[in-house]
Amino acid sequence: MNFQRDALASKIPVTIITGFLGSGKTTLISQLVRHPAMNRVALVINEIGEIGIDHDLVESSTENITLLSNGCICCSVRTDMQETLRDLFARRSVGEVFDFDRIIIETTGLADPAPVLQTLVSDTLLEAQFRFDGLVTLVDAVNFSSLVDSQAEIVKQIAIADKILLTKTDLVEPSAIASLEDLIRSINSSAPIVRIVHGEVSPKELMGLGLSSSKSAAKILAFLGNDPEQEKYLGSFIQAHSSKIQTLSLRFDEPFTWQAFSSALELLSNLRGPDLLRLKGIVNVDGKPVVVQGVQHIFHPPVNLSQWPSEDHQTRLVFITRNIDAKVIRGLFDTVRLLNTPPA
Amino acid sequence: MQAPQASSKPDQTLSRNMTLLAHHELGGFGGLGEGMGLQITKDGRRIMWLAHESAPKNFSGMDVTDPKNPRLIVQTDLPHMQLRSNSLDVWGDILAVAYQTQTVGLKPAGVDLFDVSNPENPKLLSHFDCSGPFSRGVHALWFVDGKYIHMSSGSGDFEPTNPLDDQFYRILDVSDPTKPVEAGRWWYPGTRVGDDAPPPPRHPKFDTGYRVHNSNVFPREPHRAYVGYIDGGAFVLDISDMKNIQVISHWNHSPPLNGFIHTVLPLFDRGLWIVSDECVRDDGLDWPKLVWVINSKDEKNPVSISTFPMPPVEVFGKRGGRYGAHNLHENLPVPSSFYSDTIIIGTFFNGGIRVYDTTDPYRVEEIAYFVPGAPKLSPIGSVQINDVYVDENAIVYGVDRFGGGLYILEMNI
Repeated sequence: MNFQRDALASKIPVTIITGFLGSGKTTLISQLVRHPAMNRVALVINEIGEIGIDHDLVESSTENITLLSNGCICCSVRTDMQETLRDLFARRSVGEVFDFDRIIIETTGLADPAPVLQTLVSDTLLEAQFRFDGLVTLVDAVNFSSLVDSQAEIVKQIAIADKILLTKTDLVEPSAIASLEDLIRSINSSAPIVRIVHGEVSPKELMGLGLSSSKSAAKILAFLGNDPEQEKYLGSFIQAHSSKIQTLSLRFDEPFTWQAFSSALELLSNLRGPDLLRLKGIVNVDGKPVVVQGVQHIFHPPVNLSQWPSEDHQTRLVFITRNIDAKVIRGLFDTVRLLNTPPA
Repeated sequence: MQAPQASSKPDQTLSRNMTLLAHHELGGFGGLGEGMGLQITKDGRRIMWLAHESAPKNFSGMDVTDPKNPRLIVQTDLPHMQLRSNSLDVWGDILAVAYQTQTVGLKPAGVDLFDVSNPENPKLLSHFDCSGPFSRGVHALWFVDGKYIHMSSGSGDFEPTNPLDDQFYRILDVSDPTKPVEAGRWWYPGTRVGDDAPPPPRHPKFDTGYRVHNSNVFPREPHRAYVGYIDGGAFVLDISDMKNIQVISHWNHSPPLNGFIHTVLPLFDRGLWIVSDECVRDDGLDWPKLVWVINSKDEKNPVSISTFPMPPVEVFGKRGGRYGAHNLHENLPVPSSFYSDTIIIGTFFNGGIRVYDTTDPYRVEEIAYFVPGAPKLSPIGSVQINDVYVDENAIVYGVDRFGGGLYILEMNI
């Protein structure tokens, strides 16, 4: 049998950590670098000095790269993310740094993950070598309630997350934590919430969040969240927080051409980009399965699957949006498909 | 705090998308050649046959039924120290082993066929003699159909015009494995005394000879032999009449490059050949030694369209021993072999085992590698991965030239 490569398996996964100011990112990073499970992980952070690494943990260090005795590489961003990631990969290939198998990136500045994602999908070298694994958002249990109505950015960070780390939970009553979690779930119903204290979390919580194989049916189904009990398709969406953030699950019976599908997506992105927070799904393109995903206006290269992961060959898309009606999205995709269909 | 190393150290293992399942030093005789074949026995065991790079050992059989727990089940000795069994192949329960002597005129020089239906106790079926006053015997052989052995061999009746040109292309008919007979031969015009053609010009810098290394014939194109002729370049031969072999294609990059074309691997459905050089000098002296992608859609005009990307010679050139291309996994047409017309796995001496995706033949992509740290028993302080075999489950078997033995790896591609 002619062996075909898995389109995703050989790419180095990248996890992005985001969170509002004071959400505990630095505390988390300080704990992570000491964890034995960080072996073969490169951690790209804002400032190495901030996390206070003990000297006896350091194998070697240069201006922006510190090699730790647990096999973790700590790298600060010197000029820009693109150059930092290219440099790390080049150093890895000649053995100057440990053979890292994963990158975890702490977002900088306003903690907007979009620029990092843009770098990953637009740089040819990086796109060939890395894949976005997932976005982890830190939420401060103490201050979240007071910020959620005034800081739209926090709501967005939760909405686009693959996993939520709820920090400082030791400082809040258990009953209050439960209602915080309800509030978070009303914004993002699918991301698991993990409670953490003093930044102590297993690095495994930051791994395996995204699609890691184009061949493994089990992994593809897990990525698509294909639990039949939980499916709510076509117009059935969860009424969310007052931010009007909604999770829309749509199914389409008829196959798309790639031109029709991508045109509809492009139109939606052009017209409502800021309100299109996340998209993931599987598209029937002329009978063949293609996985799509996007964060805000950034779409990852579509992944052609070697085969359908199950008997279900319908197009299934999950959108997280702000103030967009499911009927509008469905109508857009149906219309574009009709426009692409040649007359009988 | 000390600065990170400017480059990797030979004792450092480097890996990407490859996981070491097991490592075996073959009882201290882990210097292995270019012969690897995976037998699936009638009782379902999987035996990896390995040719040793040099005396005193002949060949070894490893039970790799559980690739995480390889077991050495048989190891044989050569009759004397001026002999090596660099190459072997296994078809069904028949093992073919090549014998090459250090100097011309010695024996045994040729091919042995063994019945390995009981792998612990190989039984000699026949010996085909290739010795002679100008012959060192057989360097490499290819045996994938139970009928023919294609090989790089000298012969008692072949006097080369240059001593380096002693091994030419020979075909043995082994349909009766107890009585092998020569079925055909071809040599580079001018390399045999008495040829009409003048002797070919020597390579100006590294004269490594006009002789055959690998000669591959695939059942799907049984009339084509794909031959690496060292300094003579890459040939495709029409062997439909084995008594009258004709040249179909010829391609060579040397000079100006540094010669030694080793393997010509056809990717039939894509109109491509993957051609590997062999690095034969330490410390990067004969760099560049590369793997080439050749567009062969017009057989009369093969054209190189790209080379495989490799890590910088500045990093690996002085890492110890040789650094450059060598053997490829050759998509053997046998049930125990990996087959892909896009994924190519090669060996690069101290550059380890490297895996490439040739889906875009103009922009080949490196997708995995494993460079073991220097083997404990290596005399040169660096790994020298010499050959590779990939099984039908995509498990990768790599061997070291000096002491490292067998490395068994899993790919995550």
